Amino acid sequence: MQDVLSVVSLGSIYLLFALGMSLTWGTIDVLNFSHGSIFMFSTFTAYLLLGSTALPFLAVVAVAVAVGALMSVLIQVLAFEQIIKRARTKKNAEMQILIGGIGIAIIPLAIAQHHTKSNPFGLRESSFSVDTWVVGDLRITNIAVMTIIVALVLWLALALWLRRSRNGLALRAIGVDAEVASLMGVDRRRLALVTMAVAGGLAGLAGVLFTFTLGAITPESGDTLLVKAFAIIILGGVGSMRGVAFGAYFLAACEVWVLTQTSGSWVEAVSFGLIFIVLLIRPAGVFGRKEVRRT
Amino acid sequence: MSTPNTAETLPTTGPAGGAPASPGGVAVLECDDVCVHFGGVKAVDGISLQLLPDTIHGIIGPNGSGKSTLIGAITRLTKLTSGRLLFDGEEYQSSPASVVARKRVARTFQTVRLLPDLTVLENIQLGADGRTHDEGPRPNLLKRLLGKQISPAVGEAIERTNLQGFESFYPSELSYGTQRRVEIARAISTGPRLLLLDEPTAGMNQTERAEISALLQSLRTGGLSQLLVEHDVQMMIDTCDHVFAMNFGKLIAEGRPKDVVQSPQVQEAYLGRKWRDHA
Amino acid sequence: MSSFYLTNLVLVQATITGLLLALSIQVPIRMGVFSFAGAGAYGFGCYAGAILVLDYQMAAVPTIVITGLLAGLVVLVVGLLIAKLNGLYLAMATVAFCLIISVVAINGGELTGGSTGRYGVISDFTMGHMFAIGAIALVLVALSERGKLGRRVDAVREDPELAASMGINVRRYRLVAFAVSGVLGGVAGAMNILVRSAVSPLDIGFPLIVLALTMIIVGGSLSWKGAVIGALIFTWLPDLLAVVGEWQELIYGIIVAIAAVLLPRGLYGVYVDTKRSVLRRRRQEATDKATAQTPPPTSTGDTTDIDRLAPEMEAQR
Ligand SMILES: Nc1ncnc2c1ncn2[C@@H]1O[C@H](COP(=O)(O)OP(=O)(O)O)[C@@H](O)[C@H]1O
Ligand SMILES: [Mg+2]
Repeated sequence: MQDVLSVVSLGSIYLLFALGMSLTWGTIDVLNFSHGSIFMFSTFTAYLLLGSTALPFLAVVAVAVAVGALMSVLIQVLAFEQIIKRARTKKNAEMQILIGGIGIAIIPLAIAQHHTKSNPFGLRESSFSVDTWVVGDLRITNIAVMTIIVALVLWLALALWLRRSRNGLALRAIGVDAEVASLMGVDRRRLALVTMAVAGGLAGLAGVLFTFTLGAITPESGDTLLVKAFAIIILGGVGSMRGVAFGAYFLAACEVWVLTQTSGSWVEAVSFGLIFIVLLIRPAGVFGRKEVRRT
Repeated sequence: MSTPNTAETLPTTGPAGGAPASPGGVAVLECDDVCVHFGGVKAVDGISLQLLPDTIHGIIGPNGSGKSTLIGAITRLTKLTSGRLLFDGEEYQSSPASVVARKRVARTFQTVRLLPDLTVLENIQLGADGRTHDEGPRPNLLKRLLGKQISPAVGEAIERTNLQGFESFYPSELSYGTQRRVEIARAISTGPRLLLLDEPTAGMNQTERAEISALLQSLRTGGLSQLLVEHDVQMMIDTCDHVFAMNFGKLIAEGRPKDVVQSPQVQEAYLGRKWRDHA
Repeated sequence: MSSFYLTNLVLVQATITGLLLALSIQVPIRMGVFSFAGAGAYGFGCYAGAILVLDYQMAAVPTIVITGLLAGLVVLVVGLLIAKLNGLYLAMATVAFCLIISVVAINGGELTGGSTGRYGVISDFTMGHMFAIGAIALVLVALSERGKLGRRVDAVREDPELAASMGINVRRYRLVAFAVSGVLGGVAGAMNILVRSAVSPLDIGFPLIVLALTMIIVGGSLSWKGAVIGALIFTWLPDLLAVVGEWQELIYGIIVAIAAVLLPRGLYGVYVDTKRSVLRRRRQEATDKATAQTPPPTSTGDTTDIDRLAPEMEAQR
């Protein structure tokens, strides 16, 4: 039972992190490899602020979300838009965005590493404190409960937004066929910026919740999460909202299971192995839409 | 809509008069009930035809009637849903595209597909690189290692397509029509036995079209079989010995170019489309 | 000169291993295979080299040869598994492969030394060996960029369908790309362990991918000269940038980001483009008239032709 709880709270963090990546990849074809450093750096900014003032929980979250959204939009404008403008083919653009993301991620990482000397940093100075509640023989922290609720609520809200709202529809149209979408009068640039901002905000939020949960993170922790998020997205199927939730909790379940079954640190291999298996057996993912190729 | 035609009802008129096609000669290529379906779209739907040596064949048909897909199927770049393909009487519908190409089946594409970082000369040499059927004495090792040698076939192809002077240009520096000629030269330099040209003169003016037409006719020797997809009906009449008409993935007529163009099926295919466009 | 060489010996060694690592990723990229498996092969090579020397008392040259072949084989098998994938998916599958190598290194028990890794790898390896191997690799890669092979590699990258229609067995080229990348990465890793004498899981993994990619992005991905430029810059720059002091990593990051966004073909690509445009200008000046080209497209076909067809057929009726 305690294991199930671990799965759900770990999965919720994965979900929050992967949600933003899935959103940009599924709609505007941006697989943003600086998502991990946005995640880390927005938390890092909050950490720096906490050095001078003790902020309440909500203020910490607000700072991280704002920084995340801002970074994400900046990266879109300064890098990805430029790449798309120059690339000869869509395939080239996709690869270059991946590489550009990896390159850009070095910058925030270097700043944080320089400042922390690569040591872990946390948000202890916040006026928020982590409590553990005991229900029967279950132990759960207030931050875990919050993470689970926030992840599920945001996931649902995003799914509904994509399905119902005008912008959401337009975004899904871009994801299916960018040319038709722009013929329909969709302002791709503005929508792309909104999408990137949402994704960045989610990364910031995930960073804060993750850090409160663990106590501290290292500047490098974004990298591993990045690969895990990729595993989650392709497991569920690129562009599928149900898929990303399924992938997040499935990966968490696998990891918790491996953790209880083996000694050592094989748990890291789960997501990497999963990537291989999914790509080999079902490249479209569990909930993936069939690729429609057009000439 | 046109009523579905079966092979029996086709107004077949046989090889064109005056065409040097040997009547008893074996077909270079044969398609037998070839189908290519993309999900529900039957792009090619039961096509059977023969391509003869020393003959220029043409395909006409409205946009989307499956002409390019048929060429894709013949070259094995597009997957067949069903049917048989035979080259020199040998089935090859399960061979990969590269093996088919090495049987000396050359093609051009509907869009220009030149390699941007190679010069005109190198782009054409890429075609000659695949030649295995006429390899003379190998050039010396050092020359080969440094990649300096140019095949004689390349010079010939450049001459035939009138590309002298453009050898050191890069594709992006050429006009569209010239780019298309480079593609044709690349296909010719492979020394093909079957040459498939998908709208080679799109974007060319009348003079250039006439040049290409003359070029293709000059190639009608040595057993080469050609298949030309074009929209320009006059050019088809002037160039081809035998024309196939396609609509909705099916053959609706074949025979002498003039007869095919005048056949009621073809007129309906085009006029029907025209009416719809104006509706 | 010789004292400069001696004081900078470590950097010279790092340049050569870095160059081979960069080539191990560049060779597949040149064939349109976005594989980072070379970085995994490098990690594999570090450990395999250490194991062969420490546990099997092997000499330097056989160690390198065997490690290279093994790594080539491993990456070829990976390639066979994921040959069908493309673009991002292929790239990420190979990233996963690299990370799996790290996890195996951590969990490999005595063989890999767990989280401490293996150390004390001393052999008869000399700088002569190192220069010779580096030169051989460089020459072979350079030859693959010329002539028939070079053209065909270009075709496989730019347009696999076209390549197939030219009789090129694209699948075979892609598999060779995997194998070659494995050999290069494995040899680089083996040489690294022979000069460094120690390896731990921290030395391999994601940062290695970033390093190799960095060299190629900045140097240029389409020629061995790009890899040389990248390897030189990123081995020597940190040393030169020591002047800039503690912000070296940041400057490094900014350079990479700018190159990735603005110079997708790297510094070598800038050189090639400049050369080409100078040539063009010179040619234009020289033969302003002779190059009078065919006029631009007059009709793009379809509608006009169909419109022309209809009245014609009506006339014939
Ligand atoms: N790869 C593909 N996937 C799905 N449909 C395709 C594909 N290629 C062609 N089609 C469809 O097949 C039909 C025939 O196309 P095509 O062969 O290009 O026609 P044509 O060359 O005669 O203009 C069209 O309806 C086109 O949309
Ligand atoms: Mg077509």
